[in-house]
Amino acid sequence: MKIENKIILSNVFNIGLILLIGFFAMQNLNLMLTKLRFVEIADDLNASFLEMRLSEKNYFLYHDESALLDIKEKIDSTEKSIAPVSNDISRAIGQQNLDLLKAHLSEYSEAIDEVKTNISHDVRIDAKLRAKGRGLREFSNTITSLERKGVNHIISRSKNVLFYSFWAILASAVIVSHFISQRILRSLREIQRLAKSISQGNFHKIEGNMPADEFGTVIAAINSMSEELRNREEELIQSKKLASLGILTAGVAHELTNPLNNISMIAQNYQEFYDVLSEANRIELMKKIEGEAERIEEIVRNLLDFSKPKEAKLEEKDINETVRKSLELMQNTLDISNVEVSTELGQGLPRVYIDDHQIQQVLVNLIVNAVHAMEHGGVLKLATRAGEEGQTVKVDVIDTGKGIAPEFLSHIFDPFFSTKGVGGTGLGLSVSYGIIKNHKGNIRVDSTVGAGTTFTIELPVYNKSTGFIADE
Amino acid sequence: MQGQKIMVIDDEKIVGDMAKLALEQDGFYVETFLNGEPALERLKKEQFDVVVTDLKMKGIDGMEVLRTVKRLYPETKVIMITAFANLDAAIEALRGDVHDFFPKPVKIKELKASIQRALER
Repeated sequence: MKIENKIILSNVFNIGLILLIGFFAMQNLNLMLTKLRFVEIADDLNASFLEMRLSEKNYFLYHDESALLDIKEKIDSTEKSIAPVSNDISRAIGQQNLDLLKAHLSEYSEAIDEVKTNISHDVRIDAKLRAKGRGLREFSNTITSLERKGVNHIISRSKNVLFYSFWAILASAVIVSHFISQRILRSLREIQRLAKSISQGNFHKIEGNMPADEFGTVIAAINSMSEELRNREEELIQSKKLASLGILTAGVAHELTNPLNNISMIAQNYQEFYDVLSEANRIELMKKIEGEAERIEEIVRNLLDFSKPKEAKLEEKDINETVRKSLELMQNTLDISNVEVSTELGQGLPRVYIDDHQIQQVLVNLIVNAVHAMEHGGVLKLATRAGEEGQTVKVDVIDTGKGIAPEFLSHIFDPFFSTKGVGGTGLGLSVSYGIIKNHKGNIRVDSTVGAGTTFTIELPVYNKSTGFIADE
Repeated sequence: MQGQKIMVIDDEKIVGDMAKLALEQDGFYVETFLNGEPALERLKKEQFDVVVTDLKMKGIDGMEVLRTVKRLYPETKVIMITAFANLDAAIEALRGDVHDFFPKPVKIKELKASIQRALER
């Protein structure tokens, strides 16, 4: 549901609650007014009944017959005054009580009639009149006091209803707005996370159920932006590849020109001075040609390795084992160099998902470079450790060699870039870079001229279900 | 022109060796160097008639060799060779008063002819 609709719904709910409370309050007020009206009528009635009883007392004290007529008159006027408001009274005290009241009145009237005809002044009939008069008065008093209590009850009930509904509305408003704002904040946080991940270059699409609210629209927009960025990135990668191809072609030309020139010069001299040269000289020259041909062969082989990276056969491996095997491969080279080797292999590291041979090839490349950088001796250190957030494992290859000048650092992974002059093909690091990228890993370099160079390889941790823990 | 002194500087050893072999047959005195530093040290002690140098070398490169030679001995001719058949490099080299410019692979006969011309002037 859209957030807008939710807000409207919660407002409708609260307004409904307020209307309901208003309705109840009106009901109570009406009831209260009815009761008050009855109390007013009842006060009049009580006054009339009191007067009746006073006349009754006059009759008994002075045996004044006219007092009885007074009472009779008052009863009539009372009955007349009740008749137009009988509906109101019935609503206030119920039909039953109204009937009872009327019955009391008529009984009293009957008692008066009896007294009138009772010339002999029968004491029992007098007593009956008194009893009826008292009964009428008491009944009327009781009902009036009950109704007063009823009014008070309604007032206090209304007060309570208003009090509690105030808190209920307040609580509902607070809770609903809290939930809605939580929802908005959660979605905002999710979008913030996405934006951050995009800013770090992860242009993957957001999968799964889209929320059906405004955030769904935002996520859809982010998705299409992400896709656009991904397309642009692919174009960029393509153009970078073309640029690399340019560097590659120039590099191939330069790399091949030197041995070709050597072969050419040897061949020219061989023809020109064939007669002058001894047989041993001739064989020596041919051997040199063979050596130069091998040089070309190596360049071509490296080039093929570079252009057609072999499909990585990824397996779950212990990185420390791979590091140890690489060092074993390099044992002879290390023995004849002035380089001292130290290792610092992390214990209990998560297993990685790698092609063992390819990673060994990368490590061997890095070790060879380190040894070359430490012609005058130094320490080669290999260290393994867990990466941040436990999703990667890192391998550091640290040398104390001459270091790489800052202006070269950004080019060292370019094909055919070499600082070794004749000694290197300039493909080792570039091939290594390709291998690590194929592993969805990272390779970084940090170097200080005169102090040494650190290469750091970061490889994804093995995950049972997907292979890669950080699968895209 | 017998005994005239030629210096060849190239980080490819075979280039020096082959140039020496060919030039010595013509009666030149040839010394070869694999990089700029020892070559310039040698030049400070003794003048050579022609210096053949590779353009792109580690450390002191061909351009620096050219500048130093011209400062020490303005009459010494410098011939530049390079694996980079690059016009820009050639133009820069010629501006710097280079006698001749050869892209690799070098034709030894042409190189010899160029050296002859340099010495005739």
